[in-house]
Amino acid sequence: MDRRKMLALLGSSPALVAGSPSHARTALKEFPEDYPRGGEGMITVMNPAIAGKLAARVPLVPPLDSLQDKKIYMINLSWEGPDAANYFYGAMTEWFEKHYSGVKTVVKVTAEGMFGSDPSILKDILATKADAAIVGVAG
Amino acid sequence: MQCKIPAIGIASSNIVHYATGYNFKYNNGMPIRYVSVPFPFTGQPRAVDVAYVSGKDMLTGQPLMSAVVNALTRPLTDEEKISGAPPQEAVEPRLLPPDWEENLRQLFDDREWSDFNSIILPTEKRVTAMLKGTSHKPDEVVKTINITGGARQLTVEKVAINAVMAGASPEHLPVILALATQAPFGNSTSSMANMVVISGPIRNRLKFNCGTNAMGPYNRSNAVVGRTFTLISKTAGDLRNNVNAWETLGSNLQYNNMCYGENEEALPHGWDPLHVEMGFKPNDNVVTVGMGWSSIASVGASQSIYPTHFLMRDYMGSFCASGSAACIVMDPTVAELLKDVHGFKTKAQLSEWFSQNVTKTAASYWGNGVIQSTAVPFALQGLEPYASWRKLPDDALIKPFTNPKAIHVVVAGGKVQTMWFVTDFAIRRGVLIDDWA
Repeated sequence: MDRRKMLALLGSSPALVAGSPSHARTALKEFPEDYPRGGEGMITVMNPAIAGKLAARVPLVPPLDSLQDKKIYMINLSWEGPDAANYFYGAMTEWFEKHYSGVKTVVKVTAEGMFGSDPSILKDILATKADAAIVGVAG
Repeated sequence: MQCKIPAIGIASSNIVHYATGYNFKYNNGMPIRYVSVPFPFTGQPRAVDVAYVSGKDMLTGQPLMSAVVNALTRPLTDEEKISGAPPQEAVEPRLLPPDWEENLRQLFDDREWSDFNSIILPTEKRVTAMLKGTSHKPDEVVKTINITGGARQLTVEKVAINAVMAGASPEHLPVILALATQAPFGNSTSSMANMVVISGPIRNRLKFNCGTNAMGPYNRSNAVVGRTFTLISKTAGDLRNNVNAWETLGSNLQYNNMCYGENEEALPHGWDPLHVEMGFKPNDNVVTVGMGWSSIASVGASQSIYPTHFLMRDYMGSFCASGSAACIVMDPTVAELLKDVHGFKTKAQLSEWFSQNVTKTAASYWGNGVIQSTAVPFALQGLEPYASWRKLPDDALIKPFTNPKAIHVVVAGGKVQTMWFVTDFAIRRGVLIDDWA
């Protein structure tokens, strides 16, 4: 009985005793894609992973041609509380006032924080004919 | 409702990385334009958040406000105009290509299909044997996992594959299938963890440990069932480090998910098992999952100079009390003490006492990030008690555990010491294991 058959009968793959683990890894890398596999000592196992369904693509709406005289909603998601984004949006509003006359900003805090969609803000945006929205700040 | 106006997102770099990568691919499908601020954003002094506005966009290196203007006004690219189903669905083969054992182990680690402890490789023979543990067909869908997108259909066969990997036996499979309906485990930047409690006669049939070292590494059933929950969460949930799993510290509890059985035989008379409190029959076999962050041990034995429930109350005062949730796990000797010496005839009476007696300052309550995210919106909507609490001075005391039914008590342990843990784990409704036999 040769050594390979004996090891197989004992339940050991020859690969395990052939040398260091790097020897086995080298075998994977060196063989070309179409090399016939399934040689003695190789095993087939089931795949635990599940394919994820890719999301359908949704295109962006066209951007603004400029910010001049535009109304921009700044939506505060209350990520770990509303304060940080309120400070941030306040500073952004000051920047717009300095650099883009005519830009109007409206800050709104979502009713359910970062976990809800707040339809009332969406209604507001439609009713006031807002031109753009900034949503944040996560992190 | 759709507004059809240009909108951009602002987020720290960790969120943008996820939003424009994994979330876009599997969840959203919309190539939202982002501007990125440094991390962390929240929890900073006001001056820091204000200064970010005059700083740089972390994505492009441009001045931040230039990046905002640019994001709102630059023309769409061809990529941003694409609509409809993606051209190619990702495919995962049912069988992996044959290979040497060492290579397969490396592959499982490289793909993060493990907890980086050795696994049992799931050959077809082993999985077929495992499937004998249930009457359910291999292609039956246990759950569609969509927490981070992807709508992955977790089948009985995939659960069996993970059970083999964890070292479980076919008789564990119904427990694991019931547990799989609760997958994946908690995943949040805040480092959540889970608790798995086994109830009913199955504890004894499968020899789950409910006594000494119930929550320690001393029992096969506790070990393999808890571990399988981790493996399913990572494989079926596709949770990968820094791709869609960013628990900043992580939780070591996620290796086993605190899997143990309630010591129902040692409950004081009048104290019902966890699953009976939920409305199940005593002979029903149930697995219950809890989720939270913190566990505080009593450290020492109960002392007569300071009643046990007083010390539990004091420790619970340091929890955030999100959702009014808590779970106290105690040795049977502590349960006997609480009933016989301190008069708590039922678990419900103890929970009610905690609800009435655990206090914390308003500052401490509102000072927690999770409470800021979850309870502030309630306060802003005028919902009580949050609206009133938000107006209190910092040192005013509040009773944050407003719902005693969300405070659960589980008895486990071997009567070696009067020890207990208080945890902030929110206990979900149990799942009937018998449905998966």
